[in-house]
Amino acid sequence: MPKWGMVIDLDKCTGCQACTTACAMENNTLPGESWQDVLFYHEGKYPNTSIKWFPRPCMQCENPSCVHVCPTRATYKTDDGVVLIDWNKCIGCKYCMIACPYGVRFYADEKPLLEPDIRQAFPGSDGQMWSPPFQNPESDWSKGIGIQPRGVVSKCTFCYHKISKAPAGVADLDEDNPDLVEYVPACVRTCAPKARYFGDLDNPESKVNELIANKRGTRVFEHTGNKPQVYYLGEHGTVPKFEPQFDDQA
Amino acid sequence: PISQSQAQRRSAGETVVTKNVCHQCPARCGIDVYTTDGRVHGIYGSMNSPIANGKLCPKGHLGTYILYDPDRYKGPMRRTNPNKGRDEDPQFESISWEEALDIVAGRLNNLRDNDESHRFAILYGRGWGASCAGLLGTFGQLYGSPNTALGHSSMCSDGSMVAKGLTDGNEAYNAYDYKNVNYLLNFGAGFLEAFRPYNYLMQVWGHIRTKSPKTRVTAIDVHANATNAAADRKLLIRPGTDGAMALAIAHVILTEGLWDKEFVGDFRDGRNRFESGEVIDGDTFNQRWVHGLDVWWNEELKDRTPEWAEEVTSIPARHIREVAREFGTTRPAMAIFERGPTAHSNGTWNGMAIHALNALVGALFAEGGMFYQMGPSYGPLPASAGDYMDDHAQRVRERIASGELPRIDMKGTDRWPLARNMMQEIGPNHHKGDPYKLDTVMFYLNNPIWTAPDSKAWEEAFKDIFVIETSPFPSESAKYADIILPDHTYLERLQDAPSYPFEGWPITTLRTPAVDPLYDTKVFGDTLIEIGKRINGSMSEYYQALDNTENVLRHLAEGFRDNPGSNGVNDFESWKREGVWYKKPYHWRQRRGVFYEWDGEGYNRRMSPSEVREKLLRTPSGRFEFVSGKLEQYADYVAQEFGIPAERAGIIQWVAPEHPGGGDLYFSTPKTAMHAEGRGANIPHAISLLQPVMGGRRTVYLEIHPETARARGIRSGDRVKIRSELGEIEAYCRYFEGTRPDTVVLPMEHGHWAQGRWAESRKPGHSGEITVNRSDRISGLASYYTTKVSVERA
Repeated sequence: MPKWGMVIDLDKCTGCQACTTACAMENNTLPGESWQDVLFYHEGKYPNTSIKWFPRPCMQCENPSCVHVCPTRATYKTDDGVVLIDWNKCIGCKYCMIACPYGVRFYADEKPLLEPDIRQAFPGSDGQMWSPPFQNPESDWSKGIGIQPRGVVSKCTFCYHKISKAPAGVADLDEDNPDLVEYVPACVRTCAPKARYFGDLDNPESKVNELIANKRGTRVFEHTGNKPQVYYLGEHGTVPKFEPQFDDQA
Repeated sequence: PISQSQAQRRSAGETVVTKNVCHQCPARCGIDVYTTDGRVHGIYGSMNSPIANGKLCPKGHLGTYILYDPDRYKGPMRRTNPNKGRDEDPQFESISWEEALDIVAGRLNNLRDNDESHRFAILYGRGWGASCAGLLGTFGQLYGSPNTALGHSSMCSDGSMVAKGLTDGNEAYNAYDYKNVNYLLNFGAGFLEAFRPYNYLMQVWGHIRTKSPKTRVTAIDVHANATNAAADRKLLIRPGTDGAMALAIAHVILTEGLWDKEFVGDFRDGRNRFESGEVIDGDTFNQRWVHGLDVWWNEELKDRTPEWAEEVTSIPARHIREVAREFGTTRPAMAIFERGPTAHSNGTWNGMAIHALNALVGALFAEGGMFYQMGPSYGPLPASAGDYMDDHAQRVRERIASGELPRIDMKGTDRWPLARNMMQEIGPNHHKGDPYKLDTVMFYLNNPIWTAPDSKAWEEAFKDIFVIETSPFPSESAKYADIILPDHTYLERLQDAPSYPFEGWPITTLRTPAVDPLYDTKVFGDTLIEIGKRINGSMSEYYQALDNTENVLRHLAEGFRDNPGSNGVNDFESWKREGVWYKKPYHWRQRRGVFYEWDGEGYNRRMSPSEVREKLLRTPSGRFEFVSGKLEQYADYVAQEFGIPAERAGIIQWVAPEHPGGGDLYFSTPKTAMHAEGRGANIPHAISLLQPVMGGRRTVYLEIHPETARARGIRSGDRVKIRSELGEIEAYCRYFEGTRPDTVVLPMEHGHWAQGRWAESRKPGHSGEITVNRSDRISGLASYYTTKVSVERA
């Protein structure tokens, strides 16, 4: 059984947000419900102003605080190392959202980011919150895959509907390998500068382990003890200082 | 919600993957379209596309929104409200394709009968290939109008093309060997945002920033952005002054002896005599593949010191020196540029100065340098247009050739002798009736009523024209349309798309429909052919022979039989299966000052100077020209427009930009990574991610330096008025330390008054409404970044 993990090289990431849109279309998330968001920061005074960006999927923690607090055991850790939500059990209490140190869980039953509400353009059927004609045919509510019903929390699944079908024993899911491309998470598959790698953290032969070792992979917020299975490479491999922005007023 | 519990659901249908080409920028990334049960649900880059290589940019994935856009037109329609304007509902009524085509053809036949066929115009934007935009010129030739292929390039990026044409003789965009470059000097190209092909540039970025040696990058712009934030050095330059910086870099390269002696040549005795302020004796320098270096130095460059450039550009002289030394000592190196330096009144001069740096370091046709693009091996069409010209067509052709009948945009006349197109002049010219009034206009992937500078002038001008809109979306042009002949969206189309300049070797892609058309639409090429069949005289026979675009494409693909692609594509069926035909390698290479041609096995055949002139450096001198022979031929025009003495007309030189508008702040309106040309404005996911640095998730923000804002009593987040002599628009601002204090930046995206439910009325106002319609007098490129505005709290 693999222990799936991801490596993101911040020296190669261009902040383009293709990971965000690939995820949004693969998983049919709403505008603003970015399971794979890219956060932007800027600091310094003119002309020495720097812009930094930080792509942020679910960290798929080894020791996930969200799982510990879930009162209905709706959110759980799979044997192959992924944190999922069973929408059939989730009651939408949001304890997990508060417990998560990384802010990667979403409750979409709220005022839409954009008006007009896209859910009204494509009204829900079969219990779905919305039902666009372009939705992915893959759906499994017991794993939080597909379009959610109302009243549940959603999150990145590492594209579990893809990775769970990968051939047994493979060390890395490399999107450049035609035999494996269909099993690669959407964000990794599309990343043009190849800033993302996906593989088995329990396999000593994997590229992800090689990169973590050779390029000093770091995890975000080690002090929480959550032990993320997402590692970052590069000089900016920490969450930049948070400075509040003004609210959108448009 | 246990009450709503749902078991695992999997569609019963089989998933089909079809090959297509993304339509959201010019890059032509091959895409795999995933369709199950007749519904498209996924788009990924094609692994077998040399541009996409399995990857996509953020726009590419959103294509399904374009197919399923709930605001699409569902079939041909006719206007019933005769009044036109922003606030007038056209009150369209559905009609059949037969009716619609007959109405258009009847109108066109009437014009022809009255000897006024030149008053029919087709304006096009992102034309794709021989099966759509490629048909436009022939249509005009047979119908009798100089106005059926009016391109948008003067509202795009003609500045770089014309600058290259005047210096190295190739009026085209470059192909680039990015994989092997070790120094990239970028003047205002949105390399990690909007430069083409964006997806491929990001693939390259991952490579050049991790290879050995790591490619060093200096990026020059007017505000901090993703491109210069990721670079090694960011320089924030005064808008429109890039040419001064390039001249100073050239000055340092020469005075410090850093030029490529094998390409440029050297002093005969090897001793460097370039000293600031001192002239050289031209006879002492042996020029190899360049022309006019001595004149350029003596008449211009000797005084263009970094200290001089600091005054003009505001970039400290020491930074200019550092850049020049790095650029001059790292090989291969290249200088790239696009609209940043060229969308100004002095754009061609800026472009020529930057491109001259490529000659100085020997980047032309070199490994790790830049080339020009080869075209695909297409077969001939089923009929030759020349055989179908009747008396009317012949007569119009003679009137065009004699100059009696100019194009409506006056391109190629003494008003715009060097421009490639002048689309931004069409609205104003029609309004004045100078050179004449249009009667009927057709739009293809083009929406100048919104995108042109001073766009409101077009709203007034186009009220009295019969407008045919072919977009499937409710565009601004559609609001003015008398008839709608809606195109398929790209996932429904069969259509060719030869590549923009990429790596030099020829490449052409093919869109294949993923699904049957959702609605009663028709691919534009077929609409044009169907109209052609209905025109009186022999023209109709030509279009009977073309029959339809699939027939056209099958004939084009016949050219692959004798010239199979590197991927084995040798006919229409294999082209459709692979989605792309391409043929490696590029045929020419300059190595250490010697030009070689591919002989089938390697770059082995040494080329003579006359071959180089014919095939590669197509200037009067057959060399790269620091004194442009072509521009010298237009010396009177240059003197008249720029006040430059005729004897200096050809010299690459500093010309100061002009800034109309009446304000005190430079106004820059760049495109962002999510800007999917006109088609992105109604995609909710694109809007929600549009301007990440500023947090623009529902709107875009005016970037303003805090000191600039405070001096005007403006707080971050305030609603502000942005004003030029044309009027004012409103926006929300955000403080940004990354924007020059003398400049404000507003991404060009929102402010639509049509285009669908998400696009309409989305603040801020549209930048085009306050952008003065002023163009570079050489290239004709609209000076989108040259207007000055004032900003105050709303």
